[in-house]
Amino acid sequence: MFSSLGNLQPRQLAAQVLNFALVLSTAFMLWKGLSVFTNSSSPIVVVLSGSMEPAFQRGDLLFLWNRGQETQVGEIVVYNVRGKDIPIVHRVIRRFGGGSAPLQLLTKGDNNAADDTELYARGQSYLDRSKDVIGSVVGYVPFVGYVTILLSEYPWLKTAMLVFMALTVVLQRE
Amino acid sequence: MHNTLTRVQNVFGFFTSVAFAVAAAIAISVVLSSQTPSASLQLRNVQVVKGRPHYYSTKREEYAHITFSLDADLSTLFNWNTKQVFAYITASYPSDSPASIPESEAVVWDAVIPAKNAPEHHNTYIHPTKSTARPKTKKERLSLNKAYPPGKEPGILKLDKQKPKYQITDVSGKIAERNNATLTLHWNVQPWVGALVWDNRRTVGRWQGLKGGEAAFEFPPLKATEAKKEDLKTATGKEKNRGSPA
Amino acid sequence: MDQILEQARSLWEGEVDFEGQRLADYLTYGLLTISGVIAFLVGFATQNIYQTLYIGLGGTAVTFLAVVPQWPFFNQHPLPWLPPKNAPKSQRNTGLEGINMEGISIEVDGQKVG
Repeated sequence: MFSSLGNLQPRQLAAQVLNFALVLSTAFMLWKGLSVFTNSSSPIVVVLSGSMEPAFQRGDLLFLWNRGQETQVGEIVVYNVRGKDIPIVHRVIRRFGGGSAPLQLLTKGDNNAADDTELYARGQSYLDRSKDVIGSVVGYVPFVGYVTILLSEYPWLKTAMLVFMALTVVLQRE
Repeated sequence: MHNTLTRVQNVFGFFTSVAFAVAAAIAISVVLSSQTPSASLQLRNVQVVKGRPHYYSTKREEYAHITFSLDADLSTLFNWNTKQVFAYITASYPSDSPASIPESEAVVWDAVIPAKNAPEHHNTYIHPTKSTARPKTKKERLSLNKAYPPGKEPGILKLDKQKPKYQITDVSGKIAERNNATLTLHWNVQPWVGALVWDNRRTVGRWQGLKGGEAAFEFPPLKATEAKKEDLKTATGKEKNRGSPA
Repeated sequence: MDQILEQARSLWEGEVDFEGQRLADYLTYGLLTISGVIAFLVGFATQNIYQTLYIGLGGTAVTFLAVVPQWPFFNQHPLPWLPPKNAPKSQRNTGLEGINMEGISIEVDGQKVG
């Protein structure tokens, strides 16, 4: 059953590894290229919580744009709480400043009764557009990000995938 | 030759390409639909009071309570790719140095108006109705829990002397006696797939710009006498807007 | 154990001949493209995006059903293998050592080899 692997010569094995590495690095290049184009550290995000329902559901894919520093009220921004690594997707409901002064934003999830003041870091009442915001939502695709949520919340799925791939090696007739 | 796995991979791979192409076509097709939004917005009353506007407010600050009337027709914003329209009214006023710092803006009222075929959600707007009579038929009862007046379409808004949803403050704590303020109606169209769009005041192709939907006003001085508690109530509406932050 | 493995392998392999492979490819591209186009047009005409979703997913399901299982119409043109020569060394196809070269002449550049 492992004769198919044993039959590979070193050069063929090296070619396979190179192929694999090429695919990985192309994906990485595309991601980083998109990051540069949108000026956002994370240009595509998956919606993780239901706080923006019914507009966004868990598993939806959002495309971000970070080149507009004069964010308006009503735009939907993705921001990181200072000190934490959780990105939050909420709508801007108040803005103060901008232009020559730092732009301060207050956000609120459509599905929340209260605004985000309790979510911000201690002592922080407003978001700083240039420091806290990763980008503003410009595009939307439903559902397709749900796979990433499934994989992270059900780790046995990853094992199942590996088992499936091992099965293909066993069942293949070379 | 192709084994079963290869065939599965081929079908799935081409399916993703077709799905991507159809999604792109849907997203672009919204350009073809014509939109003719119209609105008329009037300020009814504005009061500025010193107090604690939010439950988490630690200090007393000035906050404004703005009542308005709105007559809007946003029904043409709904095309086949519209999932919901988020309508909101903001109050904007100049900053302390208007030459270098743009206006400050705060949302006073908002509403989630879903498309007719969007799935039910407890957070969608419920349009207030004048009649207090109890509904007699099931049809009447259903028509009272919609985001639009009975007998109309999504996007029609007829609000008279509407209380605000939020009481607004300024970051400095002082909002009284600010002049050149404007009340403006905005919207955000959420598609099923594609780009999000906001309100346009200039006509772009088949999309007419919005005329009207603006009202100029001024923030009055701080209310000297005690304001009545009922006057300062906010309208949370019948929609169940529960949900912890985040 | 080997018997079961061999049966599993046969099912997994889902072998089709080359004509069948071409047919499978045409069916894949044709059915999916048609269902995509119809899904978009019907949805746009009825201004109801759910129609697009249902027709698109339905067409994809039909394509999977038509192409993935080993239907008999994929094996209408079986490959004409050469008849086995007498007494080959082993039954399994493990590579070059198993082919019996009797009676077969191979010529390279006009000169007989092997």
